[in-house]
Amino acid sequence: MPAAAKRRGRAELSAAKLGVVMNLPTLATLALVLAYPIGYAAYLSFHKVTPAELRRGVFPSVGLANYERILSDPLFLLALKNTLVFTAVTVVAELALAIAIAHLIGQRQVWTSRVTRFLILLPYAVPPIANGLIWSFMYNFDFGFLNRLLFSAGLISKPVNWIGDPNTALLALTVPYIWRTLPFAVLLVHAALQGINPELYEAASVDGAGAFTRFRHITLPLLAPILVVILVLRTSFAFVVFEEVLAITQGGPGDATWVAVWYSYKRSFAPPFDIGIGAASAYVLALIIGALALAYVTIIYRRIE
Amino acid sequence: MRQFLVTRLALHAANLVVIAFLLLPLAAATIGALQSAKSLQASTRSVLPPEWTLDNFRVILSGGAQKGAIFEQATYLPDNVKKIRYALTNSAIIATTVTLLTLAFGSLSAYTVARLRRRWVMWLMNLSVFARFVPVIVVMIPLYVTFRQLGLLNSVWGVIIALTGFLLPYGVVILAPYFATVPRELEEAARIDGCSRFGAFLRVTLPLSTPALASYGAIVFIVAWNDLLIPLILNNRAEFMTLPVVIASLVSDLFVFHNLMMAICLIALAPSVLLVLLLRRFVVEGLSAGAMKG
Repeated sequence: MPAAAKRRGRAELSAAKLGVVMNLPTLATLALVLAYPIGYAAYLSFHKVTPAELRRGVFPSVGLANYERILSDPLFLLALKNTLVFTAVTVVAELALAIAIAHLIGQRQVWTSRVTRFLILLPYAVPPIANGLIWSFMYNFDFGFLNRLLFSAGLISKPVNWIGDPNTALLALTVPYIWRTLPFAVLLVHAALQGINPELYEAASVDGAGAFTRFRHITLPLLAPILVVILVLRTSFAFVVFEEVLAITQGGPGDATWVAVWYSYKRSFAPPFDIGIGAASAYVLALIIGALALAYVTIIYRRIE
Repeated sequence: MRQFLVTRLALHAANLVVIAFLLLPLAAATIGALQSAKSLQASTRSVLPPEWTLDNFRVILSGGAQKGAIFEQATYLPDNVKKIRYALTNSAIIATTVTLLTLAFGSLSAYTVARLRRRWVMWLMNLSVFARFVPVIVVMIPLYVTFRQLGLLNSVWGVIIALTGFLLPYGVVILAPYFATVPRELEEAARIDGCSRFGAFLRVTLPLSTPALASYGAIVFIVAWNDLLIPLILNNRAEFMTLPVVIASLVSDLFVFHNLMMAICLIALAPSVLLVLLLRRFVVEGLSAGAMKG
C-alpha cells in the first residue's frame, strides 16, 4: 500500500490539474462552437455583412441600423406573431394530449395500451425534414393521402385544400410538429405518473371522491412541477420551428407561415444574403428564449433545494 | 362487471385512435413509396394503388443508374437523387463520429462535475443546462462566416465540430448525475490497488455507467442523424450533403416525384427509427434524465 501510494504521488496530477486537463476537449469545443459564435453574432448584428463584404473580409459598422430595419419590417413582426401563435397552439395541445396519453399507456392490464407504449417513441426518431415532406405529401391537394382517406370514408365530396388557405396554413403546420414532438411530453408525464403513490387514490376513493375529483385534487397538483418543465422546454423548442415550414409551406401561401427562424435563414442565406440582418433577427429570438431559459433554470434549482 | 367491460372497450378504442395517429404518416409514406407516379395519378380518391413496385428504391440506391420500369420514360431525374449514396455515407460518418466524440468529451467533463467538486467546474454544469436553449440559428450564422474563413465549409469536419459542440452540454447534464451514483468506495478500492484517479475513472466508473452512456449515445446519434440546419448552412455541394440536406434540396421536386421522395424519406428515417425501437429503454431514460436533473 505505501508503494502504491508513492507511485501515485509521483505519477498523478492533483485534483485541480486533473479537472482542467479532463475538461480541455469540452472547453475547446464549447468555446469554438458556442461561446465565440454567440459573441460574434452580436458583433455581426451591428455590422453590414453581405456577399461583397464577405469577399473583402471587412465589415463596416452600421450601429443599430440592422435592428431598426428588422423592427420596422412588417414581415419580421409577422414572423414573430406567427411564431407566438404556433408555439401557443402546439404547447397547449401537447400538454393536454400528453396528460391524456400518459394515463392511457399507464393501463398495464390493457394490451392495446402496451402496444401504444411501445410505439409512442417512434415519431421522436423521424428526421424532422422527412416528417415535413411526408406531411406535405399527405396534405397535397390533388394526390394527397388525407384527401384519399376522407374520400374513401365518404366524408368529403371534393378535395380539401389543407395548406393552400392562408387562414389555416399555420394551423395545418402545427399537426406535423405535434406529431413529432409529442412523445417527449408523454414520456415525462408518464414517468411522473408512475411516481405517484397509488394509496393516495385508494384513500380518496374510500372517501367517495370520483375520478374527476381525484384527477383535479391529486394528479394535477402532483404533476404540476413536470408540467412546468415541459411547458418551458417545449415553448423554447417550438420557438425555433424550421424543418416543417421548409418542407410543407416554405413560408407560404403568401407570407402566412413565415416564422422567426425561417426569417433569419432566408435573410442570411437567400437573396438579399444579408448576414447582418439575419444575425440581428436571430439575436432577438435568442433573447426571448434566453428569458425562458432563465425561468427554467430558476425553477429547476428551486425544486432541488 | 358491465361497467368494467365498457371502460375496457373505451380504453381499447382510445388506444386504437392514438396508434392510428402514430402510424398514419409512416403508412402514407410507405404506400406512396411502393407505387409509381402513374398509379398515384390514376385515381385521386383511392387509398391503395392498383399495383405495387420497388422501383423507387431501385432508382435511389443505384444512384439513378438502374432506371426501373417506372422511370424508363423519364428524361429528368433530380441531380441530388443520383448522389444520394454520398449522402448516406456522409450521414453515417458524421453521426458515428459525433457520437464517439461527444461520448468521450462528455464523460471526461461529466466526471469532473461528479467527482472533483471545483467551483468553476460546477459553473460548467450550470452553463450546460443553459446551453440547450441557445437557438441553433443564432450560432450558425456566425459559424458560417468563421468556417468560411477557416475553409471548413463543404467538409464533414465542419459539421462534426458544430454538432459535437451543440450536443456536448446535454451529455454533461445526463452523465454527471449518473457518475455521481457510482459508489465512491469502488474507486477508492481501485486507487488502493494502484490505479491513478484517471485510471479509476476509466476502469471503474465508466464500465459501471454503461446504461447512461447508452442513453446519451443513442440520443446523440439520433439527433446528429436527423439534424438539418447545421449541414444545410455549412455544406451546399452535393458530395458533402447529409440525407436531411438532400431531402431539403428536393422539396420543390416533391410535386413531380411524390413516390420517389417518400422512398427517400423512408430510407432516411429507417436507421434512427430502428435504433429507437431497439434501445427504447435507454432513450426513455436519457430523455427523462436530461429534462429533470439540472
